[in-house]
Amino acid sequence: MNRQLSATALPALALALVGSVLWVQVANGGGAFEPLQPADPCVERTVTSRDEGIEGLTERLVLLGIDGAACILGVSRESLTLELAQPGPRTDEQIDALRRGLLSAVGRMKRDGTLPPASDLADEALANADLNGLLKKLILALPDSVIDAAVKTDDVLVRTINDLDLREVLADIDDQDDLNRQVNAAVTQAVKESLLQTLRDLV
Amino acid sequence: MADAVSPRRVAGPLLAVTVALVLADSAVVTLALPAILRHLDASVGQVAWVLIAFNLVLGVAAVPAAWAFTRARPRVFSAIGIAVFAGASAWCAVAGSIEVLVAARCLQALGGALALVGCLEQLVALYGERRGVATWVTGGVVGTATGPVLGGLLTETISWQAIFVVQVPFAVLAVPAALAVSAVPEVSPDRHRPAVRPNLTLALLSAALTAALFLLVLLLVEGWQRSPATAALTVSVVPLAALAARPLARLLKPPAPVEVASGCLLIAGGLAGLALPPSADLVWTLAPQALVGLGLGLTVDRLTAQAMELRLPRVRHAGWTIGARHLGVVLGLAILTPVFTDDLREAQAPAQEAIASIVLDAPLKSQDKISVAKALGRELTAEEGRVPDLHRAFVTLDVEPSERAALAELERDLDAQLERAATRAFRDSFLIGAGLSLLALATVMTPRRRTRP
Repeated sequence: MNRQLSATALPALALALVGSVLWVQVANGGGAFEPLQPADPCVERTVTSRDEGIEGLTERLVLLGIDGAACILGVSRESLTLELAQPGPRTDEQIDALRRGLLSAVGRMKRDGTLPPASDLADEALANADLNGLLKKLILALPDSVIDAAVKTDDVLVRTINDLDLREVLADIDDQDDLNRQVNAAVTQAVKESLLQTLRDLV
Repeated sequence: MADAVSPRRVAGPLLAVTVALVLADSAVVTLALPAILRHLDASVGQVAWVLIAFNLVLGVAAVPAAWAFTRARPRVFSAIGIAVFAGASAWCAVAGSIEVLVAARCLQALGGALALVGCLEQLVALYGERRGVATWVTGGVVGTATGPVLGGLLTETISWQAIFVVQVPFAVLAVPAALAVSAVPEVSPDRHRPAVRPNLTLALLSAALTAALFLLVLLLVEGWQRSPATAALTVSVVPLAALAARPLARLLKPPAPVEVASGCLLIAGGLAGLALPPSADLVWTLAPQALVGLGLGLTVDRLTAQAMELRLPRVRHAGWTIGARHLGVVLGLAILTPVFTDDLREAQAPAQEAIASIVLDAPLKSQDKISVAKALGRELTAEEGRVPDLHRAFVTLDVEPSERAALAELERDLDAQLERAATRAFRDSFLIGAGLSLLALATVMTPRRRTRP
């Protein structure tokens, strides 16, 4: 092998090997193998739930509500979720954003037609409600059309969200029983107020 | 006649094994670090000192040991060094805290420094100048190359303590072997100054190679949750590729500086490749590791030879070379450890957000999502500063049989996110390693100063 060739062959081979390996790595996504980037919470997304009834509705509402709150606060929904999952005091800004986010979620679900009619939720809601047994039976005997005319799901949800002490709800996030008790009380109160309002409108 | 042959047959191999053991110890614990980290409840920063302490003491003590050797009785000097090394290895095996382990590693390195310089002269006394030095260099290369692999296999099959226990009988047998070989101390004055350029290149390359081995092993075991045995087999690509370097150099016959420069380029390219894997599949580490191994085989031997060749006293220049290599490892660890521990800490927030995103959108019932989130939260809090093992969170969950498939898919998705986060966290450190290798290349490419006629 002549002198010039022996001086250039190995560096040329080394360059070719390095170039090939780096090209193959980058061409197959090297450099982009990073954790999932949080999506923009201000861009509307479709949310689904494996649950049905009130639980499914609550999950979809909360997912959309957190999106809305994160958009208002200018953070990702993931960082807001992680922050809210931590114990500790909540700022007024967070509580206000969460309430506005949940209210806007109700509005969006109403527009989308994804809010179920009240009659779909009546059986489940009555089972959890702290009402007289006779009254429960009477309500259950009503036709769906009467229930849907008397109680609007969006109205009940808006009243519930406005009545709920979100700060207390977040403080009890680890205590499922306490959380259910608070939400059920707020929903029952909202249904009562909604019925009263309907009666007032009829009169 | 039989008496004259006996030491060569028994003492020579035992002294060569001692050299291999001491230099293997530079990186032998690399694959055991995650196990040590968990067993001794240490942080990543603390556990790095198990490596740093050994290399620092060996690097600093090598030159004074070489100086002291010329003023001592060689056989006693070597025997004391090997005995200290053996005793300290046993101490490492029984260490109950990270502080005791680091102290034992310091003592082990001190004994190792005495043993290395002593064994060089004794091997020269046994085999002659050329073959003795070659045996010493080969023992070191074999030890350095196979250390991490053997350490990983021992950790997987027995325990991390086994790495130190197996060294003890070899070292104990080498003590009488050292006493049996009489070498005359080399008393030639300092005729030559230390070879600055090859030693500097060697130090920078050692720093870069630290990134290749130390970081890759941590990425495989801690980041990608592979077993030490799998990691050991994976990183064995480096020594295997190093074996291919010599035939390649013989075939292409490059001038020495060109060979070293090509090796530096290959190591830099390999480290850049390790910084950019397209997934956590082990196959993506193979080609970059092969580049690193090829580069290692083209550089370390050649630079060691350049640093020692025709320089007297031999033992003193061996000391400078050992010092350069091991202080280079320390330099690499000192630069890389804070970078990747910081990056690992900074990777927690995006990893947690990615996990939160996937759990929120998981096709599970809302109560199961809440249970998963609580279990993950406990695991993430408990593993602050380390890559968590999410499997522990999932085994505690009690879900309906219809939910199990979705839960298993969720676990796979979350593990993939952790792998992505860990890989991203190690990227800058691998790129810094590549930069160190390019710096080594610059020392080779810088024109020599012209000497006045």
